[in-house]
Amino acid sequence: MTAAAPRLPSLQRRVLALVLGAVALVWLASGLFTWFDARHELDELLDGHLAQAAALLVAQQVRAVGETEGDDEDHRRVDAPSLHRYAPRVTFQVWHEGRLALRSSNAPTEPMAPPGGRFEPGFHTVALGDARWRVFAAEGAEHDVQVYVGERIEARLSILRAVLRSTLWPVAAALPLLALAIWWAVRQGLGPLRQLGRALAARDPRTLEPLAISGAPVEMRPALDALNALFGRIGELIDSERRFTADAAHELRTPLAAIRAQAQVALGEADVDARRHALRATLEGCDRAARLIEQLLMLSRLEATEGLVLQAVELAALVRQVCATLAPAAQHKEQQVALDAPLPCTVAGDEALLTVLVRNLLDNAIRYSPRQARIELRLRRDGEAVTLDIEDGGPGMAEADIARIGQRFFRVLGHDAPGSGLGWSIVQRIAAAHGATLSVGRSARLGGLSVRVRLPAAGAAPSTAHQAGAGNLAHRAS
Amino acid sequence: MRILLAEDDPLLGDGLRAGLRQLGFQVDWVRDGAAAERELRAEPYAAAVLDLGLPRQDGLDVLAAIRRAGVTVPVLVLTARDAVPDRIRGLDRGADDYVVKPVDLHELGARLRALVRRSHGQPAERLEARGLVLDSTTRKVHLDGASIALSTREFDLLHVLMLHAGRVLTREQIEQRLYSWGEEVESNTVEVHVHYLRRKLGAARIRTVRGVGYQLVDDDEAA
Repeated sequence: MTAAAPRLPSLQRRVLALVLGAVALVWLASGLFTWFDARHELDELLDGHLAQAAALLVAQQVRAVGETEGDDEDHRRVDAPSLHRYAPRVTFQVWHEGRLALRSSNAPTEPMAPPGGRFEPGFHTVALGDARWRVFAAEGAEHDVQVYVGERIEARLSILRAVLRSTLWPVAAALPLLALAIWWAVRQGLGPLRQLGRALAARDPRTLEPLAISGAPVEMRPALDALNALFGRIGELIDSERRFTADAAHELRTPLAAIRAQAQVALGEADVDARRHALRATLEGCDRAARLIEQLLMLSRLEATEGLVLQAVELAALVRQVCATLAPAAQHKEQQVALDAPLPCTVAGDEALLTVLVRNLLDNAIRYSPRQARIELRLRRDGEAVTLDIEDGGPGMAEADIARIGQRFFRVLGHDAPGSGLGWSIVQRIAAAHGATLSVGRSARLGGLSVRVRLPAAGAAPSTAHQAGAGNLAHRAS
Repeated sequence: MRILLAEDDPLLGDGLRAGLRQLGFQVDWVRDGAAAERELRAEPYAAAVLDLGLPRQDGLDVLAAIRRAGVTVPVLVLTARDAVPDRIRGLDRGADDYVVKPVDLHELGARLRALVRRSHGQPAERLEARGLVLDSTTRKVHLDGASIALSTREFDLLHVLMLHAGRVLTREQIEQRLYSWGEEVESNTVEVHVHYLRRKLGAARIRTVRGVGYQLVDDDEAA
């Protein structure tokens, strides 16, 4: 990786930075708190000492003033001995009637009064030389004795710094260790994530087995479940595709074999009529193969469709249109097609798909009914549902056959009517997509097959139908 | 050569029947498994073409049933089921050949001829009996090197007789092997064809076993 390449965001680094940042922030805050708290306490304590020292000096000085009356001024400037190594940090002056009576050796000769120069009892800060001092000023009851007791502010600060140091140093020293520990902890915590990554990388890309990570943490469950659901869906799609390809190849073999045989017969046939027959059969075989492909594609698209865009469809008009379209086929067999749809029946559905459904059912009735048979279509609305009945006078179906109807490529055999058996699968898929129910039985009136489609009326649309790529499907199906 | 075609697809059945007829086969066509079993048990077909996806009874069940019943007719399975396990199952159930649709008509014919030949213990297309040579592929007959022109029926009759050379075939057996359903067979048709064959091949070639049938003479002492 070159330096110019952008660094990928890392969860590990991110968590590490956040935790370390938080630790540092808390550490700083605790330092600040310690600083202010300690300063406050220290100020209180030391100020108390200053005040007390000043009070002592005032009391002592009032007594001592009488004893040293008339002494040389110089003698009265007592330089108190430095008794302790901290002594240079404190200082005092005792003034009596405007004259310096006593002072510590490090005290100036000028009064340690605030900048104005006027005596003022209480605390104030003065600058002496290059140092700043905290000074407490006090005076005797007769206002003749004034005492200043001062302490270097620097001294206080150094105490504070020492306190702060002892508070912060251990943490500061521990910080790299802490960082290391956090780094390790985060790494351990993200273990399952890395395990998932490894498991995904090690997978054969063709397998769609669900991922099983033993002891996967609860935070990873949603991702894992979603991933496994995705694998499942992809697997189903692939299976469906594979099945479609196999079915299509398998189902096209017979028409292809027929086309080939008929074409070869035509080639080898000297008799004109026989050759024409073979050629016509060849064409018929081509048509059949084409219709088979059309149906397979239709079914495949239906299987890939998750939901439909439902619109209000006027079913009575739709059925009438289908009847009109298929009328020539029925007339060809001298069959009577009767439609009984007295009222408009609006259903929620996809118009193109519903047309395919009705066309398949009627086409089936025409195909399987003998010549001059009667085929009846009836459309009724009752409450929440619209019912379409299609009955014919054909041979109907045996119970066992009805149970098998809709299995791909099953068709009632022993019929000369060409068909792949795909039509019913298509009808079933369309019905399911519309939340409609299909029932098959024997027609009581006509003796043949009776198919009933119950569709929810418009406004009672099934909640399962939702937006999907069905627009495209509907368009292509039309 | 009379064969049974069991195929439920009308278009394919029609095409195969017409095509195999062009190749000189007599074809009987049934459209479901039950009929196929019935016919194979009842009639002496030279071979059968059997689709597997048959209505009423699956082709594999037909195969198993006739083999159980001791019918040894060569069966060529013609199917859309192309998976290897399907082929294995088909052959194990008693099929002699397994062909996946679509198939070339000439190849189908050749395979049928091969099956018939093998079922009669003949290694080649050529049948020979004492200088008489019959090639079932080219449908040519030679007698001592000289070509003999025969009509379709004469050829088929000679073919049947040569396949069963030395054996006596009754008139009914010959008719059953020569004619498919619906063909008008005059009572003396076989006799007429035998007559013509004798004129072309020599009278001694085909012996009449009075009251029984005919026999192709293939041993020298009988000549």
